[in-house]
Amino acid sequence: MTAATPAPAIAIRRRRTPATPYLLLIPAVLVLLVGLGYPVYWQVVTSLQEYGMMQQFGAPPTFAGLDNYARIFSDERLWTVVGRSVLFCLVNAFLTVAIGLGLALLMKAVHAAVRVTMQVVLLLAWATPLVAAVTVFRWLFDYRAGVVNWLLVQMGFEQYQGYAWLAQPLTFFLVATVVIVWMSVPFVAMSLYAGLTQVSEEVLEAARLDGARPAQILRHILLPLVRPVLAIVLLLQIIWDLRVFAQIRLLQDAGAPISETNLLGNFIYELGIGSQDFSGAAAVSIFVLLLTVLLAAPYVRSLMKEDAA
Amino acid sequence: MSTATETARPSAAPVVRDVRPDARRPRPRVGKILLGALGIVLSLVWAFPVYWMLLSAVTPDARLRASTPSFLPTHFTLSNFGSVLTGSGFGGALRMSLMITGVTIVVVLAFAFLAALAISRWRFRGRTGFVLAVLFIQMLPAEGLFIAQYKMLSTVGESAPVLGLNSVLGISILYAAMLVPFTIWMLRGFVAGVPAELEEAAMVDGLSRTKAFLRITFPLLAPGLVASGVYAFLQAWNEFTTALVILPAEDHQTLPIWLRSFLSASANRGIDWGEVMAASTLIAVPVIVFFLFVQGRMTSGLVSGAVKG
Amino acid sequence: MKRTRVVATGVATSLTLALALAACAPAADEGSGETGASPEAGDITLWLAGADTNDDLRKYLVDTFAEENPGSTLTIEEQDWTDLVTKLTTALPDAANTPDVVEIGNTQAPTFTYAGAFREVSPELYDELGGDKLLQSFVEAGSIDETKYALPYYYGSRYMFFRKDIWSKAGLEVPTTLEEFGDSVKELTSKKQSGFAMGGQDWRNGISWVFANGGELAVKDGEQWTSTLSDPNTVKGLEQWQDVFEGASNLPPTAKDEAYWDFINDGTDGAAPQGATIMAPGWARWSIGDMTKGDDGKEVRDGMVDDKKFDIFALPGVDGGVAPVFAGGSNLAVSAKSQHPELAENLLRIVYSDEYQTQLAEAGLGPANTDFNKLMEVDKFGEVAVETAEASKLTPAAPGWAAVEGASVYEELFQKIAEGGDVTALAKQYDEKLTPMLNGQAG
Repeated sequence: MTAATPAPAIAIRRRRTPATPYLLLIPAVLVLLVGLGYPVYWQVVTSLQEYGMMQQFGAPPTFAGLDNYARIFSDERLWTVVGRSVLFCLVNAFLTVAIGLGLALLMKAVHAAVRVTMQVVLLLAWATPLVAAVTVFRWLFDYRAGVVNWLLVQMGFEQYQGYAWLAQPLTFFLVATVVIVWMSVPFVAMSLYAGLTQVSEEVLEAARLDGARPAQILRHILLPLVRPVLAIVLLLQIIWDLRVFAQIRLLQDAGAPISETNLLGNFIYELGIGSQDFSGAAAVSIFVLLLTVLLAAPYVRSLMKEDAA
Repeated sequence: MSTATETARPSAAPVVRDVRPDARRPRPRVGKILLGALGIVLSLVWAFPVYWMLLSAVTPDARLRASTPSFLPTHFTLSNFGSVLTGSGFGGALRMSLMITGVTIVVVLAFAFLAALAISRWRFRGRTGFVLAVLFIQMLPAEGLFIAQYKMLSTVGESAPVLGLNSVLGISILYAAMLVPFTIWMLRGFVAGVPAELEEAAMVDGLSRTKAFLRITFPLLAPGLVASGVYAFLQAWNEFTTALVILPAEDHQTLPIWLRSFLSASANRGIDWGEVMAASTLIAVPVIVFFLFVQGRMTSGLVSGAVKG
Repeated sequence: MKRTRVVATGVATSLTLALALAACAPAADEGSGETGASPEAGDITLWLAGADTNDDLRKYLVDTFAEENPGSTLTIEEQDWTDLVTKLTTALPDAANTPDVVEIGNTQAPTFTYAGAFREVSPELYDELGGDKLLQSFVEAGSIDETKYALPYYYGSRYMFFRKDIWSKAGLEVPTTLEEFGDSVKELTSKKQSGFAMGGQDWRNGISWVFANGGELAVKDGEQWTSTLSDPNTVKGLEQWQDVFEGASNLPPTAKDEAYWDFINDGTDGAAPQGATIMAPGWARWSIGDMTKGDDGKEVRDGMVDDKKFDIFALPGVDGGVAPVFAGGSNLAVSAKSQHPELAENLLRIVYSDEYQTQLAEAGLGPANTDFNKLMEVDKFGEVAVETAEASKLTPAAPGWAAVEGASVYEELFQKIAEGGDVTALAKQYDEKLTPMLNGQAG
């Protein structure tokens, strides 16, 4: 995604006073300022104040300096949640991309009828709205009437009679991963498949004639050619999976060990709305922002370098 | 989906193929059949949750709790849809969701496109700063922003109700602010991919700048706009936490919130899974319709953006 | 969302009694709207939580309000219990959009009361609405010292619903002590049947064992609240509950206070029930029983008509008698920011009128005005309801209580106990966590 083509930018640079780009930016900047300006400002200010339920109902907040930050940093819950979120995000992102790549390669290899079937099915999964999808999986994994337990028992695993998947953090995250992978794979698989179709048949045929095995073709021809797509979908998955909130919350509603299954978004929500510790929640939000900026620093540097060129 | 497939077909190469001895052929064919079978199996696995949702939606609740689930609609009924549709504000929620999603998509695409144009066609002071800001704003956790968003819209609403709480425009702007950064980032690759020379050539042929843009550049960007539009659509359609807070009035709720109300077992009633699944199905239908409508351009758009970006 | 609650309206028998009672009740006011000068007309909004206030009750409120306040209207909006605190936190401080009157869980009332979310109920109005006859424990949950803010709306104390046929078949009688109850339900437990179907996170039922053993969740000393889980009596209660859960419930330790009646109803096609006993508020009755056709032709539960099959009893105490159980229910308050406080107070007058209190009692909801408890005592359900209500206890009215609930701290604690954790160690650990939270300090 960073391999840009800077040529056009130079081509139009002949305009002396580039007022146009600023004009073009105005609507976007405006909507960002209007939609996020005050909320972000509030976030920063509140993180420096003592702001709880009383303040929400009109009591004047008191300035607290960096107390809130000191408090959340010394809270081991924060670090557990950060670790858990990063791990969950990486596992899900890589799993999604791996399965998506597998499906894309499969679609390229199979008969057209099978391919269309797969595409239609993936489209259905992709189009299923989040709340509906999580709801269906809750129902599938329901400990009393869920079909997953029933199937497992039929297959002879008696211990799954009434097994509560959401009761243990590990199996909870297993279910969450199944939901998220199920929902995200279609996007990845279809993007990668579209990328694969740009590899010309000629090249593949030539490789086959030269006696290349399928594995070699994959490694030396297909993968290098879809690498840009692969990189961008992986990056997107990482960004999205780090922000997972609704899926976890909806699953927790079904009865789960809440504090052991919170991810960053849920932690912030629970701290703020749940426990009315609004200043703590604001401080965690700012911290998460800084953390992501830090993690994204290498990418930013390459972007700046490219810009300077 | 298949547009990209056609373009990549070779025209000259296959001549060589006939030289090879036929003996090599059967092996790939067996392989192809096995892969096809794998594709079908995976399709079934992926389709199962959707099938289960539809099946449960047409099965009476008492049946769903049977100890042996049935995998075919043996007790077909439309009563779940009946009670879901008559029981509460589906119509109103559908209208709200459609309007909010519509406004969000239009605002996001228009504003992000202009901004993407600015940053990919011009070099100007503050460009890098803007790109960075855009990149980081999307990292901000949304879960801590509700209180401030509420306060903001409530204050605005006192003088301009059309932008306040319970208004389509108000929440659309909040959504747009969350989505514009990512969309700029996504569209930037597409815009950079259309050489400015094309436009200039058209201008030499006597077209005005605007006309040249509309006739030449815009059609080439369509796949990118569709891909970003799909992303914005899914986000706006699925969002429920902001909507919960920003649209407090009962007759202004959106579909995800409407569905959620079926999901909470209160002290005096359990979850009626039949109704929940019927409601889920109803929410999924508009998305599937939308996807079928845009599917041709969707994935090819995603890829060309990624490859050229 | 509004769904007609499955209420078979067979309780009308008590109507004559109601009228008789209404006639001799001290007439605090004649015609609710006439006190005070008639306020400016307007539209007010009432937020009700959950579906417990049934459609008949809602209709009565809307119609009566319109009748008594010409030109004004009442809009009722139903909020989900799950999202109630979120919505109250944002909407109540906002003068332009606040609902005028809100229902709030009795355990959530203290937090909002301390934060200044509610309008004061003047001593005159308080007396007019029923005064000392209102359920005092709920009044306290909505008061700061002597000033009243949130008044009781309805209560429901929990008692036991059981499968008499299953208990009888095993030769078991209604237990008379808490220990005997535990032994009986353990005996009734098999792999496919919970003797006592209860979720591990269901602390609202679980704390009955704490209260029964003389324990407390927290006590107030001066201005400070202290979590008292480590108190020997509390620990004893928690351990006893742990023993019952482990021996008699097949539900997961993470299951919440859910629709337990599914467990004691017959399964599809007459399959055996998955539980022999449950603990639930009185209105659960209308979800229990055999299938029958309701007035509108829909299949509904018959409300435990077959008394050889279904029956109830109050949870027995440690030494017999009735165990103090958790009183669930809700409070009602006028928003401090309401633009139509007089109209809102007129709505309160309707709610606390004899007619409405009668209807509450008949719908199986414990009426705010204790005079009307008698109306519930017309059958065994009402009798047990009143019996348990008299023995019931509330959770601590601490300023930080809503935060404790919002963070699901007790759910977590009870889940860990249900998983077989060491009660003494857990109690110590959670005491440390809870004490600052109860006092409204960020935890």
